[in-house]
Amino acid sequence: MEYQRLQQLTKTTINNNNFIQTALLSDLRIDGRRPLDYRKLTIKFGRDDGSSEVKLGDTYVISFVTAQLLQPYKDRPNEGSLSVFTEFSPMADPSFEPGRASESAVELGRIVDRGLRESRAIDTESLCVVSGKLVWAIRIDIHVIDNGGNLVDAANVAALAALLTFRRPECSLTGEDGQQVVVHPPEERDPLPLIIHHLPIAVTFGFFSNENLVVIDPTYHEESVMTGRMTATLNANGDVCSIQKAGGEGVSQRVIMNCLKLAHVKAGDITAKIRDTVEIHNTERALRKIKRHSSSVAVDVCGTTARLGGKQNQSVGDNDVNHLDQLKLKDEVNDMECETMSSGQLQSSKSDGVSKNFIGGPSSWDPYSECVDSDSLKASLASRGIAVKQSGLSTPHSKQNDSRSEIKREEQAEEIKTNSPNVGQSNEGKTLKDAVKPKRKRKKRASTNARN
Amino acid sequence: METKPSTNFVDKLVCPGDVVLDLSTMTNQTIKLGGGLRQDCDTISVTKAGRLRFSKPNKYWVESSQKRYVPHAEDSVIGIVVDQRSDNFLVDIKGPTLAFLPVLAFEGGTRRNIPKFEVGTSIYVRVVTANPEMNPELSCTDASGKAAEFGALKEGYMFECSTGLSRMLLSSPTCPVLEALGKKLSFEIAVGLNGRVWVNSASPSTTIIVANAIMNSEALSGVQQKIMADKLLQKIQ
Repeated sequence: MEYQRLQQLTKTTINNNNFIQTALLSDLRIDGRRPLDYRKLTIKFGRDDGSSEVKLGDTYVISFVTAQLLQPYKDRPNEGSLSVFTEFSPMADPSFEPGRASESAVELGRIVDRGLRESRAIDTESLCVVSGKLVWAIRIDIHVIDNGGNLVDAANVAALAALLTFRRPECSLTGEDGQQVVVHPPEERDPLPLIIHHLPIAVTFGFFSNENLVVIDPTYHEESVMTGRMTATLNANGDVCSIQKAGGEGVSQRVIMNCLKLAHVKAGDITAKIRDTVEIHNTERALRKIKRHSSSVAVDVCGTTARLGGKQNQSVGDNDVNHLDQLKLKDEVNDMECETMSSGQLQSSKSDGVSKNFIGGPSSWDPYSECVDSDSLKASLASRGIAVKQSGLSTPHSKQNDSRSEIKREEQAEEIKTNSPNVGQSNEGKTLKDAVKPKRKRKKRASTNARN
Repeated sequence: METKPSTNFVDKLVCPGDVVLDLSTMTNQTIKLGGGLRQDCDTISVTKAGRLRFSKPNKYWVESSQKRYVPHAEDSVIGIVVDQRSDNFLVDIKGPTLAFLPVLAFEGGTRRNIPKFEVGTSIYVRVVTANPEMNPELSCTDASGKAAEFGALKEGYMFECSTGLSRMLLSSPTCPVLEALGKKLSFEIAVGLNGRVWVNSASPSTTIIVANAIMNSEALSGVQQKIMADKLLQKIQ
């Protein structure tokens, strides 16, 4: 037992400690990076909604997001809750003990939690179903599979990626008193994504006993050598959401300001990366959906519109072909660059009113066309911020666009101008202020609703 | 004594449960079994995944690449000193248990001159005994009692790799990646069979290049290793 404890203490040798520091003096790191280079970040998604795998160098973290209907906290009757759970497998690092959450596991969970919560990145009020009675409780599980250093950043990205792809089932209120909650299965109504205002990205810096040495994204070996660590959580606009400073090494103000500047740049890069991969994933997801619901089996949807149209020509009935041709024509006219025709675009052109019954299958594709309940209205309002006034004018279709394919918004905005003039504000334009603003407005709305 | 292997599984990938030798057809010969093989009545079956190896005249074993090390006698390994006791150093050699290095197991070691090793020193040692259910015993001398390069490794950088890679680095003829690097760069290297490699050179950049080249050659064939090393050397010149 005691031997095991000793074994865990040997994280690194004296040789390596000295070597890492001397190499850093000449701007070299043991994996060939320069001090301010980030490692390669890979994001993958699982088959289910709300699961992600993130690789940062050797570090490997997976994350799942789940939701549950629960009673809200008494002091916040109309806000959903958000909780982060971490699991450090002993396979990742021999120093992780099974069962008991170690100090670093707790710290990691807290940093991720704080970054999301304090900056109000997730709109928790849109998670309310019945005020004071039922809200969605979002749970983020983070599992560390391999520890190659800098778990915090990897876990944070994993959590964000999982949140972005998470879909909660839609629910509506029925019954005579309007208090009966019906949760619609995903086959019946399309599940809804969370409303995420901005992405707080954690960027970790390592400090060494020599004051001038600063590294970004420390590896496992560097972590055992460095004497101080700072995790800054920023979004792409440079708003600082939280800072966590650990380790004994004191850091001067000048260095911290420098670090924040660097972190801002990295946060922008990482945000773009996450958004890109999420968009690709959403496209794939939507394509999968088309496959699943379509009545004709032989539809192989892949690649460009032209090919898609061609293939469908062979297999699908006349009705669909007509629609597709229309769609194709429309696209050509619109001069949309459709190298890979995303279904987000498909959707958008659909909402233009070109082809309502484009998908041959059951009409579960568009949940809003059937009914709009007050909750989903509230939910989509919350994402809109300033455009609350116009929301009355906008049709349900444009709303769906708005929440579903976020990245494409700007393009679509021009097309669907006739429907709703002000929907197309991009996510990048939002700041922390925007995240806070709609809250007040919504409170007013909520109170008026209650009066009604 | 027959020197040809009596099975056609040699140098092929084998999985646990594979029957590689049938003893009933080879009654008049003796064979020696190494790791990863076991005898079930008249057959020899495999207990771990890897490549079946044969050495003349009659030795068979299964070779695999893994992150954990199982100590074997007469292996040269790199250990990290974890603690000092009155008559032993406790050394981590990536095995299931810590290994003992007797304080007298040095060239000319007496009670008077016990070497001083700080905790965290890396040392190049030889495994003397390795029995299951016992801590392995190490020595800083070769079989004849000479120091023979064993001892503390000063400076340099030590990294961990799989046991397969360290075996490849030690194989003869010299591993292509080392050969290619050695033509252009001068560096010192110590490879432990327990999957630890220590590299030292005059400048940190050389050490980093060598270390990364070796780590990258884990999954490469001989030719690929050579190409990779040549490209790397071109880049830095």
